[in-house]
Amino acid sequence: MPKRSPAIALQLDRAIEAMLASAPRKSQPKLSPALAQLLPIAGALRDSPRPEFKSTLKADLQRRTTMTEAAAPAPAAPETPPFRPPNFPNIAPYFLVHGAPQFIDFLVAAFDGAEGFRVPRPDGTIMHAEVRIGDSVVELAEANEQYPTRPMTTHLYVPDSDASYARALEAGATSVYAVADQHWGDRQGCVKDPFGNVWHVATPKTWVPSVEGIRAVQPFLHLRDAHNFIPFVEAAFGAEAMDVAKSLEGLILHATLKIARATFEIDQAHGELQPTPAYLHVYVPDTDAMYAKALAAGAIGVTPPSDAPYGDRTATVKDPFGNTWFLATYRGAAQP
Amino acid sequence: MVAVRRPAQKPAPQSADERVLVEAAQADPAKFGALYELHFQRIYYFIARRVRDRATAEDLTSEVFHKALANLPSYEWRGAPFGAWLFRIAANAIADQFKRTSREQRGANDPQSPGEQRDGSSFDLEAMDYHARLFRLVEQLPGVQQRVIRERFVEQRSIREIAERLNRTQGAVKQLQFRALQTLRAQMEGAHA
Repeated sequence: MPKRSPAIALQLDRAIEAMLASAPRKSQPKLSPALAQLLPIAGALRDSPRPEFKSTLKADLQRRTTMTEAAAPAPAAPETPPFRPPNFPNIAPYFLVHGAPQFIDFLVAAFDGAEGFRVPRPDGTIMHAEVRIGDSVVELAEANEQYPTRPMTTHLYVPDSDASYARALEAGATSVYAVADQHWGDRQGCVKDPFGNVWHVATPKTWVPSVEGIRAVQPFLHLRDAHNFIPFVEAAFGAEAMDVAKSLEGLILHATLKIARATFEIDQAHGELQPTPAYLHVYVPDTDAMYAKALAAGAIGVTPPSDAPYGDRTATVKDPFGNTWFLATYRGAAQP
Repeated sequence: MVAVRRPAQKPAPQSADERVLVEAAQADPAKFGALYELHFQRIYYFIARRVRDRATAEDLTSEVFHKALANLPSYEWRGAPFGAWLFRIAANAIADQFKRTSREQRGANDPQSPGEQRDGSSFDLEAMDYHARLFRLVEQLPGVQQRVIRERFVEQRSIREIAERLNRTQGAVKQLQFRALQTLRAQMEGAHA
């Protein structure tokens, strides 16, 4: 059998070639009964769907369910007790930059950011600041030796991606790619800000956001072994994979992950979009339990759980992919 | 036309199992993914056999699942399988598509769209199950065989093109094609047993 196999494979392919070319039956090569049985299988495969279509449609549907969920006030079970500050998403990218005041100016000019508050260090540099963009919050501080600057990537939903993209360029960003209609249904462009952060600026085009809409700010992690990241965040933070699109080789083309009520995105690092380990601020119901769980899943403890002066219970871990997670549980406003 | 002797597998799960999935998705739309996985291949095939090209098949399949998701809260379990509800949506989508097409090509005959299929009410359930089973089996082939099958039959590339893309000889690609088809046939036959 093995010796004859190349000849058989050749004979079969001639018949397949004729079938694909819709050659008249009488001009199609004669096949042995064993090979002839394979031809209907080959014919049926012509109607099979493209795997990319199947995964993209699933991702679209999943994205829509995320929005539907966000829109429905009733199913959102109340947090008892609330573990995050009012009007604060429970995951926020934390930017550490050189020139924090200028970074705030950029966010205001490019993305209609609204500065919440800033806490200065004794030397006047920014120790912590918050800027609200749409329904989300980004946090930032001046980078230092302990926490050096790390450019990050963000998927940013805005009302008009063309306008935001243009304003970002005016404010000093450079174009990574121009705004265009993307196959996943967004009108999206991409810029790199003067601090090295990448912003995918998008507006839904072929899908309809819910009343409340998708979160404006979604951290986006490009990872070297993205397929290993998903089981890690599931184990460490109880994350849920909302949609996972894989290549035939099993690489993660895109996935949306959900922790409590906030989502973030990941993909396999590729091309210019190489791993950019992130700082992420996550509000969780129980910081102590989450810290223990994260360590058990393979994270490294940076600071163990403690009570912060502003009232939150906080801890910091670093995951095996280089990302730093500031865990926090809100316990009401700090007492004077 | 594919010769189909009998179903390659039991029809998609119905009744109790499917009802659980539907109720879970109605309570939490994020769980719609399980119903999608269960029915995607059958719905796609149902549509693909009735429209002219792949792009239209994809558009209509997308429309069906988006409509199903949007209308899921109003779906009521009355004993009929959830799949039947999806096919009804698909049949309506196909009928609408034909209406649009015939408006655009007023007076033109369409030999590709026999009348008995236009409302989607006439279809071969066995053929649909056969194809859905086959398409799922392709997803389980080893990576490189899966890629050869996709490129050869879905993208309809030549053996030479595939060989270049995979950095293999044309003989090796023909062997992979042969082995993949043999595996699929054996598994389809096995499912009959």
